[in-house]
Amino acid sequence: MKWQVAVDDRTIEIDSGQLASVTEVEPGVYAVLLDGASFEIRLTETSQGLSAEAGGRRFTVEVRDPRDTSRGFRGSVGSGRQNVAAPIPGKVVRVLVKVGDVVDAGQGLVVVEAMKMQNEMKAARPGRVIEIRAHAGDTVAAGDTLAVLE
Amino acid sequence: MFGRVLVANRGEIAVRIIRALREIKIRSIAVFSDADRGALHVRLADEAEHIGPAPSPDSYLRLDRILEAAKKHGAEAIHPGYGFLSENAGFAAACAEAGIVFIGPSAESIRRLGSKTAARTLAKQAGAPVVPGSEEAATNIERARALAREIGYPVLLKAAAGGGGKGMRRVNAENELESAIRDASSEAERAFQNGEVYIEKVIEKPRHIEIQIAGDHYGNLVHLGERECSLQRRHQKIIEECPSPWVARHPEMREAMGEAALKIARAAGYDNLGTVEFLADNRGNFYFLEVNTRLQVEHPVTELVTGHDLVHLQLRIAAGEALPFTQKEISWRGWAMECRVCAEDPENQFFPSPGKIAQLREPSGPGVRLDSGVYPGWTVPLEYDPLLAKLVTRGPDRNTAIQRLQRALSEYAVAGIQTNIAFLREILDDSEFLAGNLSTEFVADFLARRKPRTAPPPELDSAVALAALAHYQTARQRGTVAAEVEGSRWLNEGRGQLLR
Repeated sequence: MKWQVAVDDRTIEIDSGQLASVTEVEPGVYAVLLDGASFEIRLTETSQGLSAEAGGRRFTVEVRDPRDTSRGFRGSVGSGRQNVAAPIPGKVVRVLVKVGDVVDAGQGLVVVEAMKMQNEMKAARPGRVIEIRAHAGDTVAAGDTLAVLE
Repeated sequence: MFGRVLVANRGEIAVRIIRALREIKIRSIAVFSDADRGALHVRLADEAEHIGPAPSPDSYLRLDRILEAAKKHGAEAIHPGYGFLSENAGFAAACAEAGIVFIGPSAESIRRLGSKTAARTLAKQAGAPVVPGSEEAATNIERARALAREIGYPVLLKAAAGGGGKGMRRVNAENELESAIRDASSEAERAFQNGEVYIEKVIEKPRHIEIQIAGDHYGNLVHLGERECSLQRRHQKIIEECPSPWVARHPEMREAMGEAALKIARAAGYDNLGTVEFLADNRGNFYFLEVNTRLQVEHPVTELVTGHDLVHLQLRIAAGEALPFTQKEISWRGWAMECRVCAEDPENQFFPSPGKIAQLREPSGPGVRLDSGVYPGWTVPLEYDPLLAKLVTRGPDRNTAIQRLQRALSEYAVAGIQTNIAFLREILDDSEFLAGNLSTEFVADFLARRKPRTAPPPELDSAVALAALAHYQTARQRGTVAAEVEGSRWLNEGRGQLLR
């Protein structure tokens, strides 16, 4: 059976026959032999999906089940609304944009301070600010939405 | 020697000290905050006492609670580690008052060397080189001009009450001086309600080189050579080594810097372990920076090259023993290099990444020492320093130490949180680093010239995909397919990318 696995933004086609080259050596740790080359892959379930660590790199992974026709790869990074959220708890220092502003990819939106360090939360792609939920001085929890773009 | 010692710290350094205590059969007493009940140092200690909530001002900085714990557990001495209360003269004095030995210098020595300006004056009187500059505020512009000319441009204006770069200005030529003093002074006035600024010489691309010193209660003082700690990010060291590549090229500098460090220590009546920090330029000049009156984070590189256990040494000195060796008996063999493995994201301005360590494989093998404070399943608290572990390697020469560090980092796997491991490996691969061309601006320069990361090789992608599929099928068989619980990973990845 043919499977599709999304590795970051790449789609890898896999035949289930190839699974013979994989063995789980520790919980969540997989040893893979491909054409004689040896790899060790560590998989962790995170709040953002399945995360893989291998060769000093980090990947985000999603498996598409060919038997499940109701689901496919839904959504994408390329379009729609973006919620800009706080990665860890902290305090809002400054809001750099206002509702209606058109922003570029990578533009700073909100400055959050945590562990005595200031960090700019940036837009992942161009868009228009439709909502700002963060105010200077606010304490925010991890995952709290700071601003919404479309 | 003591029978029971309390360790007033947490993380890897508490583990390091507990290990030293166990080696010489001293009972160890750990202290912990709410966030650290399950921490490695608490697991390893013989006894442990809760001292308060997670924020350090409510726990690890509460000297009253720590002294209470020491009394309750019958500790004869307290080891403060680094950070927290280690350079707090008041704590050293409170220990003495309570009849408990503070493992470090006297409160009086800490006071003498604790203030940067007092230490600078003391160093100057002792005859150690200091960064050329004015002793008094630059208020009179004529005098400031004359002084800047004497020091030589470029010069640096620094706020007297300063810190954090506020009121700091670089002045490249005389025609910029007057307006720069005005700007710096008003900035300092706003920030510290004190507009006084000083003039200091700019040391271009300096190396950070420090001398390890040790003294006993009987006036014996020695130095254990230098460590080069030029590689820093956000003013914190990330890679340290002994010998310094610069000293290795100019062997006479070890003696010169060692002698300067000992002059300062003698003038301060210093005992126990300490570190005298210098800035060195590329012309063979070095200048006193400050003294750290405690055990240093990077002490293992000195241990590996001199063969002496510095924590054992601290304990012996504090217990009233004389130094077990003379200056002549200290020798340096081979090369040691340390890197600090931190829970932080180098791709996002080294932003801290606390959280649960889902998986952990720690390196070992020839020439490898790992001083770690974590274990798989441990949640790295967000209240403290992001340092997880110090990885140190040793070899007969610098190249071997680097190769071993590279190899050990390639074995090091941490899943669940971000770390700087990949970034450290990139630095260790850099030609300037390999050539030993270091300065405190190295990391900034490296980030500017760094090449974007290449795409992963296709076979690695395939291996990841295969592992993910195997994982998915196992999860399906167990009836725990996370994918069906909520949301698409594509959507989640999109959200994730917004955070980067």
